[in-house]
Amino acid sequence: MANRKINKRDIEKLLNQWGQEFTVLAPSKESGIATMSKWNGKHANFLDWYRNTVIPPKGNFFPSMERMFNFQKDKEGYHLELPTSNEQKQLIFGIRPCDAKSLAILDMTFKDAYEDPYYLPKRKNALLVGLGCTNPCDSCFCTSLGINPAESSDVDLMLIDIGDEFLIEEVTDKGKKLIAAASGVEEASEADEAKAKEAKEASYNKVTRKIDTEDIKRKLSSSFDNQDFWEEIAAKCISCGICTFLCPTCYCFDINDELAKGLGARFRSWDSCAFPIYTKMPMENPREEKWRRVRQKVYHKYGFYPMNFGVIACTGCGRCIRQCPVNWDITQTLDILPAEA
Amino acid sequence: MKKESEWEPKLVGFLCKWCSYAGADLAGTSRKKYPANIGVIKVPCSGRVDSLFILKALRLGFDGVLVSGCHPGDCHYQTGNYRARRRIAITKKFLEYMGIEPQRIQASWVSASEGGKFAEVVTETTEKLKQTGPNQLFIEERQGDGAKATARG
Amino acid sequence: MEQRLRQEAKTLLEQGKVDYIIGFEQGSLKFTTAPLITKDKGDTDRLVINPFIVNNLSVYLTDIEGRVGIVAKGCDSRSIVSLIQDNKVNREEVVIIGIPCPGIIDLSKIEQLVGKDRDELDDITRDGNRVVVTVGSKKKDFPITEVLFDNCLGCEFPTPQEYDVLLGEPSTPVADKTVSRAKIETLEGMTQEQRWQFWEEEFSRCIRCYACRNICPACFCQRCFVEESEPQWILPIPQWQDNLIFQAIRNIHVAGRCTDCGECDRACPVNIPLRSLTKEMYDLVDELFHYKSGMDKDAPPLMTAYEAEEAEDFIR
Repeated sequence: MANRKINKRDIEKLLNQWGQEFTVLAPSKESGIATMSKWNGKHANFLDWYRNTVIPPKGNFFPSMERMFNFQKDKEGYHLELPTSNEQKQLIFGIRPCDAKSLAILDMTFKDAYEDPYYLPKRKNALLVGLGCTNPCDSCFCTSLGINPAESSDVDLMLIDIGDEFLIEEVTDKGKKLIAAASGVEEASEADEAKAKEAKEASYNKVTRKIDTEDIKRKLSSSFDNQDFWEEIAAKCISCGICTFLCPTCYCFDINDELAKGLGARFRSWDSCAFPIYTKMPMENPREEKWRRVRQKVYHKYGFYPMNFGVIACTGCGRCIRQCPVNWDITQTLDILPAEA
Repeated sequence: MKKESEWEPKLVGFLCKWCSYAGADLAGTSRKKYPANIGVIKVPCSGRVDSLFILKALRLGFDGVLVSGCHPGDCHYQTGNYRARRRIAITKKFLEYMGIEPQRIQASWVSASEGGKFAEVVTETTEKLKQTGPNQLFIEERQGDGAKATARG
Repeated sequence: MEQRLRQEAKTLLEQGKVDYIIGFEQGSLKFTTAPLITKDKGDTDRLVINPFIVNNLSVYLTDIEGRVGIVAKGCDSRSIVSLIQDNKVNREEVVIIGIPCPGIIDLSKIEQLVGKDRDELDDITRDGNRVVVTVGSKKKDFPITEVLFDNCLGCEFPTPQEYDVLLGEPSTPVADKTVSRAKIETLEGMTQEQRWQFWEEEFSRCIRCYACRNICPACFCQRCFVEESEPQWILPIPQWQDNLIFQAIRNIHVAGRCTDCGECDRACPVNIPLRSLTKEMYDLVDELFHYKSGMDKDAPPLMTAYEAEEAEDFIR
């Protein structure tokens, strides 16, 4: 399949062109943190500094706060008003392979048994243009989870850095259509393809942090009741929600109603299994102690999710390691997980 | 926005049961006139009033909050009003720094025998609020641009 | 100093004077340290002292059961004193290993100055009043006034006031109030509407992770007001209105107990300038009541204390 390519200088024009048809989201730096924001040309030099966003792309499909419906009560009873669906197609430019994979992992949950009517339409209406990493962070460990930082099959188009240009891989038909009339796009040569192959290998080798996923299943099954181990591991955790909220594959949410007189709205918002009250019920709290919650997080991601869905609920993006205020590091935990009980 | 003549400020008053609430009661029985803009919540002591009540009232849309208690030295619980004094001092200044008009938070010492004073306090406070204008602090849920839209629905 | 620390910690455990040692160890990322909480005297060899020991370890004191030997910088020791004032910690049950603090390096300031991400830096070393950053063969150095945390620059008490052991000579404060209060001064120069607009924007980013609250030693309530549902003061939904109220009340609730350690500001994953609130409150209580938190373990906590005669010009 002959690939295409584009000069990095022409990316701005391309985004402007796409912006006429879609809501384009691209990396921007507001208040010192990288986010995916509506493209308006203000951060046109994002390629100079962009590594990854703080809030993962799940925030575009499963936002931290989402209105489910409004309701009103009158003498006839309750009237629900569902939010009008946003028909505008989103185009997310610059999504990293780890984050693209995370959306595929999230899809499994949001389609399982019940099709989430908020998440799925957004997913259907979105186009993903991936951007391969050239400079993975110290906290990244995607390669241990079967991901190449410069390659992805979970996007519509994949851009690989080959110097002054990007090689463009058409991954889906939607992507093919997207690039067909795009400005500044040329045919790629064999030399370009070779450079891309080298770039992928180079990126892969730059990821130095690793976990051994083969051994994990065995180690997890023997460590569950090792309270001493988990207490030690959990000691410095402060039970905030940073790791879970910034995790691209975490999906727990809470539902709350905001009420005024005779009317209100139901919202869902991000919840965290790290919070002490997460499992609190009137009679008891099965995860009152911090070590149980810390244990649960490890097991959910590396034990139960693979059991239920066949894939580890982690893409090695490293946000949890980088942003944790006490440097709690899941790769360290997995590394020292005892082999025997 | 309503015309000034149409709008009446909504004021909530946290009155301590032993002094200020009794003072307000006395204002009533003495037929002292004061604006009907105030809604009263009885608390056991002005020291019961957490700054959270003040902010919650503003969040709910009240234009102003009045906290009234016994004169220093006369608190039924000895020290409650001293705590209220400190708490209100920092609350007013801190919230002013955050951008809340300081006139929206008022405090007074009204004893059980000061029916007249209570009426004056409510009249003055209502007048101040009329000049300050309606509370628009918490209206307008920000939809924002993409930067915020990423994390919010 | 590090050797002495390790020896002290080991001895405390060996002699059974404490059940736990809480200190810092090398983190899993460059230029990062992590809290080390251990009962094992063998672990004391992992204790470190370097320009990146940023955490306020006293946050762990309210959750741990037993006697603790704890490493404390200036601000940290004041937090411990504050907890003693609040009766949350028994003076007899902590052994405070005091570190005279030369100031902690703010990695994001270095990243901005050098124009590189922290992963691309090879070394950061403190050399007297300068900090040397090495990238490959190139070295760049900066005055510490450009790379220390804002609160370190304004710190008046870098040497612990309360301690059992002091590892080293007392530190001289940089005490650059201008930098420390720079953001606050900017805000105070705005109009009231502009300030509200500023905070509305900042709190629109808040995702209610509660890192600010959980990392704060002064926030030790078993049940925080945000967790109350009867009445529901604020919703768990991250709307800017509720986010703002959460932070405003949090600051008012810790007034007089916050020591400007800056941890809340550092922990925030979305860069909300929380220190512009905490430092304002810190200075406000100093201005109103001439009170600095955590200086006297026998003093009553600020908000329960009172003078018979106090400024009440704001009370009718």
